[in-house]
Amino acid sequence: MRAIRFPSKTPQEAWKFTVLLRILELSHEALVMGVVTTKRDMYYRDPELFLKQAVVDRYVDDLAYTLGVERDALNVAAAKGLVAGSFTTKRKDSSVVDYCSEPQGILVPNAKEIQSIQLIDVNWVLVIEKEATFRTLASKQYWQTCFAGKGIIITAKGYPDIRTRQFLHLLSTSHPHIPIFCLVDFDPNGMGIMSTYKYGSMALSHQNQNLAVPSIRWLGIRGSDILQMKDCEVTGRLKLTDRDRRIATRMLDKEIFQDGAREEGWRRELQIMLMLNCKAEIQILSSRDDGLEGWLDEKLLEALNEGRQ
Amino acid sequence: MSKQYLTTHTIDDAHITDIFSLAVTPTQILSASGASSIKVHSTTSTDVPLAQTITGAHKLGCHHIVTSRNGRYAASAGFGGEVKIWSISESGEWFEEGKVVDGNNAGEIWAIALSEDGQYMASTTYDGRINVWDLVDGRKKIREFETKGSFGMCIDMSRDGRFTASGHENGGVYVFNNETGRMLYSLPGLVKPVRTVAFSPAGTRLAAAGDSRVIALYDVQHGEQVANLTGHSAWIFSVDWSDTGEYLLSGAFDGKVKVWSIDTRNCVATHSETDKTLWCVKWLPKTGRSEAFATAGANRSISFYREATGG
Repeated sequence: MRAIRFPSKTPQEAWKFTVLLRILELSHEALVMGVVTTKRDMYYRDPELFLKQAVVDRYVDDLAYTLGVERDALNVAAAKGLVAGSFTTKRKDSSVVDYCSEPQGILVPNAKEIQSIQLIDVNWVLVIEKEATFRTLASKQYWQTCFAGKGIIITAKGYPDIRTRQFLHLLSTSHPHIPIFCLVDFDPNGMGIMSTYKYGSMALSHQNQNLAVPSIRWLGIRGSDILQMKDCEVTGRLKLTDRDRRIATRMLDKEIFQDGAREEGWRRELQIMLMLNCKAEIQILSSRDDGLEGWLDEKLLEALNEGRQ
Repeated sequence: MSKQYLTTHTIDDAHITDIFSLAVTPTQILSASGASSIKVHSTTSTDVPLAQTITGAHKLGCHHIVTSRNGRYAASAGFGGEVKIWSISESGEWFEEGKVVDGNNAGEIWAIALSEDGQYMASTTYDGRINVWDLVDGRKKIREFETKGSFGMCIDMSRDGRFTASGHENGGVYVFNNETGRMLYSLPGLVKPVRTVAFSPAGTRLAAAGDSRVIALYDVQHGEQVANLTGHSAWIFSVDWSDTGEYLLSGAFDGKVKVWSIDTRNCVATHSETDKTLWCVKWLPKTGRSEAFATAGANRSISFYREATGG
């Protein structure tokens, strides 16, 4: 709980009030004009006032929470997610968007505006941590050339924003039989990103029930993936930093990672990461002879077969 | 000349997850894993029955467990950065005697080693410091050695307590004189992460190994490398000297365990019960004529081997 007072004697309090009012104004403007703005846009409208992006992020979230609405009700979205794949969406205004005609991927649509999602022969959905990996796969139209059949690829460029999570949540609830996989770096942040998709973020716990995708499955990278590669000299394997080790330790302490709790497999991978003091980025897979796509083909086929048994 | 070892017993699923570390006393084997409890099995009978489960020992899991040579003390290091000191009662039950906490910094202590009598503990830190603690006198830090700042992945103390050796991620191997508080040697030879170091029983040799897949043997008196034992084709996670100092045991990422003759510098036996990582290999204190050892790792089991004495 924070209180912001007006009028006030301290410049700090006056600044807080100004920031709050400015954000209300920008949100009001977006609502009146019927456009969706982003936290990033808001920040750049007045960087001298806001000082840093984190200030905007915090006030927008606090404001939404105070008003008892979700953030996009303020017409503020963090539109950063990209999606490509074999599907179309029908919007509430009856218009249809065909994603097959956008093979390179386009911004993740607002789930609130979607009436329904029609999948076209989709066997899998792959959530990718990194934009660069998404771009590589999209440019090769991997979502339609994959050996495991057609699919959908999606990225939120790091920690997921609400819009991406809403869309994925909608996808998972409207098509529960399509497995959703996650491809993240083998490092504490990768695990954190996967955990955010699956369980939600700590900061926005009041919104998590509409956003979490508990069915999401971990495709990689695991410790064994990097150690099993032909030569242990593979470039792209890095040592953990002091900070990585601290994050990993803090994560191990979370409830879902406890002995006998839901994510024992994750617990093990975090421990092995700490034991080996190694991490690896998704890019490490491109150093394989058959590249990232070969690895994905193999893993997706394997995972889909397991699911059928 | 090769030697033959037979599997005498395997404790299947001794833990619910990877076993990261083993420690032995004259009558027991202690094991630590990614789960929160420490298990104690009795090695006095061939079926190695469970003697004690210390539940909730390390909430986040335990990566190192060591015992004092006299079998009276144990120390265990958890992923949360805490170290617990254990002591054995008259009736043979382990109980927690206390904790060692380095300042307020979680994760400061990684690898640990105990002196023969259990009075001293040596430990490494993420940033390459080596600390020695007096466990009798208030569990205080009595020595602090600095190295080049690379992660201290492993540590050992000579049986007479005079020397501490550490192995580091940058390939560094250091020997410290605990009496003078000085670094004795910085040993060259390995350039990749060193994941295990061990003093020979007499304290005259030091073995070090890791990602370079060779075991380097050093002369502790003169600080020189005297041999390279080659043969492993995967990262080596653990080495241990037999009681007499004649043989060295090593375990690797690919599940292979090897026995090396120090005399001839040859590998005299290779076993692979599993293709999963062996995190730890350990000789059991010698009873009778033949020598025995135990291995544990990612397959969650503890396997026991004994030398075949057919001839």
